[in-house]
Amino acid sequence: MTEFNINTLPREVRKIREDIRTMIIRGAGRIARAGAKALAIAAEEYRGNNVEDFISYMKEVAEYVKSARPTAVSLPNAISYVMTRLLRASPGSVEEAKQIVVSAAEEFIEYSKNAVKVIAELGAKRIENGDVIMTHCHSTAAVSVIVEAHNQGKVSKVYVKETRPKMQGLITAKALADAGLDVILIPDSSVRYFMKRVNKVVVGADTIAANGAVINKIGTSLVALAAKEARVRLYVAAETYKFSPQTVIGELVPIEVRDPREIVEDEWLKANPQVKVYNPVFDVTPPEYIDAIITEKGIIPPQAAILILMEEYGLSISDVLSREQVEFKYEELRE
Amino acid sequence: MGSTEAAYHVLNILREAAGKCSEGFPHFIQIAIPLMIQARPTSIVMVNLTRNFLEEFIRLAKERGVDEAVGNVPKIISGIIERVEMVKECVATLGSRRITDGDVVLTHSYSSTILELFKKAYDRGIKFSVYITESRPIGEGKIAAAKISKLGIDTTLIVDSAVRFVMKRISKVFVSADAVAANGAVVNKVGTSAIALAAKEARVRLYVTAGTYKMGLETVFGELIEGVVLSDANLIIPKDRISELAGKVLVRAPLFDVTPPEYIDAIITEVGLIAPQAVPLLIKEVYGWPPKVPSIESLISEVRSL
Repeated sequence: MTEFNINTLPREVRKIREDIRTMIIRGAGRIARAGAKALAIAAEEYRGNNVEDFISYMKEVAEYVKSARPTAVSLPNAISYVMTRLLRASPGSVEEAKQIVVSAAEEFIEYSKNAVKVIAELGAKRIENGDVIMTHCHSTAAVSVIVEAHNQGKVSKVYVKETRPKMQGLITAKALADAGLDVILIPDSSVRYFMKRVNKVVVGADTIAANGAVINKIGTSLVALAAKEARVRLYVAAETYKFSPQTVIGELVPIEVRDPREIVEDEWLKANPQVKVYNPVFDVTPPEYIDAIITEKGIIPPQAAILILMEEYGLSISDVLSREQVEFKYEELRE
Repeated sequence: MGSTEAAYHVLNILREAAGKCSEGFPHFIQIAIPLMIQARPTSIVMVNLTRNFLEEFIRLAKERGVDEAVGNVPKIISGIIERVEMVKECVATLGSRRITDGDVVLTHSYSSTILELFKKAYDRGIKFSVYITESRPIGEGKIAAAKISKLGIDTTLIVDSAVRFVMKRISKVFVSADAVAANGAVVNKVGTSAIALAAKEARVRLYVTAGTYKMGLETVFGELIEGVVLSDANLIIPKDRISELAGKVLVRAPLFDVTPPEYIDAIITEVGLIAPQAVPLLIKEVYGWPPKVPSIESLISEVRSL
């Protein structure tokens, strides 16, 4: 078997991984689709005729792509969607194996795009006439719900939080305004100030844990707390591939801490070397602050997250444990 | 600018005006004071300190004539500022006693009293660290972070959105106030009430520093404290992205919010720590009950008839 070398991977595969890592490709859905696409490209460009070699090559590629963002669960889920289909089949030739990878990737991408449409339809039913909505960060699923409800004439206006440090609220604000909604952009600090005027909060999710806790952009849990206090309903719009199978076996979802320079400029850091700048990117919203999670498989209470995980990822913990991505995890733990 | 600094600014304008044009001064008061108070409607401090000034000015004018009163304006103003500085010093001292070894303190926005409070605790040898928010819009938390770190205190800057995330590691929250209403509600930089809510949820104690000159005496008679809401897109949207959003979205940036008394463990005043619900008692101690507070308008018309 030939040694795996990252530099021999197709340029496009390396570019996708780099773009995910540097957040040029961002948003859990987009990351997942890009990951699946990277596998398809890697398979198509593979030169060789030994099936065993191809499979171990694909495993390496899968690990390489997955390592781009350690916390985005949609990425390993997309990868394992493709990889399980490859590993379950016993392809007789490299050509056949390549075909399995390519069609599984296409299938996932198609499924993912369709999921957002279904979420929009289901979620819009939860919006009532004249509702004032608040949202945080940028989520394609959440935006789709709000736009669909707007197309049905239900939405009065939307408060969009700026979402420091990377200001993803601006992307949401533009998308919603382009769809014809009345958008009011507000600073993150004013979340409680405006909550009294809001009827529903709709946010996306990065990862959903087995207990229904939602990991999403920093600030989400504060929005949820303020909504709970004001008795405003909060919905999380999320495709099922954002549910994390690892959490079923007790893994904690790691919270990514990013560069201080996302918050302050380099000159400021140099002028104030004693100040630490702490930049956690995600926070955890407890299930009791969430009214429902809107998935393409239906609207569920967060506490029923395990139902989605059982349906999507096999039936028992032992099944989950036997899954390859978990084995990899365990190796990491042993190290 | 903190609420006290803003009020000092008004007093300094009055001092300068009295020096430059002593004859026109009573007339200047009648026009300028209402305008300056309107510019910052939340500023109870400005109202209270201006009231102090007018009362002393009128008393002096009645006793010794308008000319001598105008001549004494610098002295009246120095006296007021001196008293406030003493109050702040006292509040900082009392507050600093609430910080103990190992505390991890969270604060918000910029307040000279809070900075002094930290300094006093640090100088006493207490080992503690401070988390501070950026305090958007404006972002004065960054200035405060720089100053606190230069005192030698372990300082960590976070975004406003991260307050609930870090709250579990916080042992006490210290914030200042722009104003305190009669029911104990605290008006302060926007974001304070969300911090207070997160602190309550995590059972972290929250202290507010506020000298009695920040008590909104008019609120006893049902006046609401008005907030300022800005709509300048530049406050939120970075320059290079204004064009993609211009004309498409509205921007609303309130500068203040109201923290309900039930989220506040104590208000630290110069006469001691009190529960927020005990604010009327304090007002009674200092100003009598119901507080005898002539309105700015009535004082100005008194100036007119001097």
